[in-house]
Amino acid sequence: MTSNPTPKPRVLLDPTSERAATTRERATRRPSFDGATVGLLDISKPRGKVFLDRIEELLVARGVRVERFAKPTFTKPAPADLRHEIATKCDMVIEALAD
Amino acid sequence: MPDGLVAIVKRDCPTCTLVAPVLRDLATRGALHVYSQDDPTFPDGVATADDTSLEVSFALEIDTVPTLLSIEGGTITNRTEGWSRTRWEELTGLADLGVDLPDFRPGCGSRTHDPDIADARAVAAMTPLITSRRLELGGAEDEQEAMFARGWTDGLPVVAPTVERVARMLTGTTRAPDDLVAVVPPDLVECTVEKIAVNAVMAGCRPEYLPVVLAAVEAACTDEFNAHGLLATTWFSGPLVIVNGPIARAIGMNSGGNALGQGNRANATIGRALQLVIRNVGGGRPGEVDRATLGNPGKYTFCFAEDEAGSPWEPLSVERGLAPETSAVTLFAAEGVRGVVDQLSRDPDSLARTFAACLRTVAHPKLAMVWDAILVVSPEHGRVFREAGWSKAALREALASHLQLAGDDLVVGAGGMAEGLPAGFAGHTIPKFRDGGLLIVHAGGTAGLFSAIIGGWASGAVGSEPVTKAIGT
Amino acid sequence: MHDTVNLEAAGVPMAFVASTEFIEAAEAQSRALGADPARIFVAHPIQDRTDAELEALAELAFPEILAALTPSRAS
Repeated sequence: MTSNPTPKPRVLLDPTSERAATTRERATRRPSFDGATVGLLDISKPRGKVFLDRIEELLVARGVRVERFAKPTFTKPAPADLRHEIATKCDMVIEALAD
Repeated sequence: MPDGLVAIVKRDCPTCTLVAPVLRDLATRGALHVYSQDDPTFPDGVATADDTSLEVSFALEIDTVPTLLSIEGGTITNRTEGWSRTRWEELTGLADLGVDLPDFRPGCGSRTHDPDIADARAVAAMTPLITSRRLELGGAEDEQEAMFARGWTDGLPVVAPTVERVARMLTGTTRAPDDLVAVVPPDLVECTVEKIAVNAVMAGCRPEYLPVVLAAVEAACTDEFNAHGLLATTWFSGPLVIVNGPIARAIGMNSGGNALGQGNRANATIGRALQLVIRNVGGGRPGEVDRATLGNPGKYTFCFAEDEAGSPWEPLSVERGLAPETSAVTLFAAEGVRGVVDQLSRDPDSLARTFAACLRTVAHPKLAMVWDAILVVSPEHGRVFREAGWSKAALREALASHLQLAGDDLVVGAGGMAEGLPAGFAGHTIPKFRDGGLLIVHAGGTAGLFSAIIGGWASGAVGSEPVTKAIGT
Repeated sequence: MHDTVNLEAAGVPMAFVASTEFIEAAEAQSRALGADPARIFVAHPIQDRTDAELEALAELAFPEILAALTPSRAS
């Protein structure tokens, strides 16, 4: 049996002033949930729906609009169409529940 | 370092094979250290040391093989290159060397001068000097996507700035990587040669372009040029780099057909490198500090060389005070390019009037003194002035005269247009351009009775002054 | 995790919820993707929980989820 050699890490030099972190920055957060639509993305592992149902109740109780989405399978990234739909409809998203 | 007699040779050199018997002779007669640059078994019958790594050859600064040296206490006291019986006998103090050989035979180039080896060595020497933060890509990260995601690009793909590429880029200048070049707006970040090299790699530059990029960054970051204001304005403009002098030819810049267009690597990447420095080092990004209403495609890159050889006039850099044959950049806060057609004028005054009529429209035909402009005169239009014996000064004078505008036509409301100069200008004559606000350069292909106008941004202290800087090494 | 990183890159604030079993995997995958998405972990295991237990986990995680989707107070 042969094993693949560990690939050499690819290293780039930072072209910036190095004042910011090197990881991708998170998207800008809205100051509040007022008028926001929150997407609940079920990765489709068993039991996740129960968890998300309760999250939805808690959000709705706060007057937040909720949209539900489910991935066809938790084993693969969501199809591009679904991602697009989520990005179009939602101001923020909660993805659950990986275990 | 060995003491005594030292010979540096390589098998792949006819002179070295010629002197092989002499080396055997010397080895039997006393202390001789032979280093071979290619084949450690050469010459036969001599205990040769392996210098395929060229470490000894570089340390002894070998230019030619064979080189015979006399070393005493670590100091080279004598050396001779190639084969010369007289010199070898003198250096060794021995007589009757190589009696069967010709008296003299020049040597061959040392492997230390092979371009690949010299390049690899220069790169290796540069590598430990590089101090930029290393970013290790995740195993699942695509290189291009990683750079886009971190906001490092102008929207087009960039070349990944690996340590090796940046080290090679840095061999393009004699300046040290940590040498400070400029303080880059808008974040006012101290910018070193190395950071510019990283961005030059990303822009696609070759190492020999680096001195031009360094000069462009330096010129752009002066108070006079005011790159901060230029970035922050809602106006269209971005930095244009015009290159003069021998370096433009040396690095293959385009000053001819399509000089303002696409297709030439040096033109395309030098202008882009400057913009990437402003973006990545200075922090100047569209939608953030960059408030342009519409922008213009030249903000990706805008750089060309003046056609000096075909010009009827002195180069822009000379007009702006530098000695002829000095390589230089001139930075200008440029809006877009617009065409000027005149296919009928065969006398220079008629053509000057065409230029004036078109120049009048820069920004607005009723506004004056605020916007600068560049007139790019093409070879076929240049010919009209050359044949008539018009100097650049003569053209300037004619343009200035034809661009004296009647205040009555410029004031608010005149011509049914609210835009215009304040009412107080009525009754006065106003020049379209301030003194020094019109630059004239020569470029373009040899067919086409067209020239170009490149509008500027607000001029002078409130805006941007064109800045010319000599290009270093 | 890919979806979280992709959507975040598209400008959508994301909160990724997983069980504590997933802490290291999520960390490694974040690093692999060059990202640092907001991650909230609830006590493992999940599959054998009753509905009531899962709902309690949701209630427990809820404040942290809200915090991940609003501007951080530190900055």
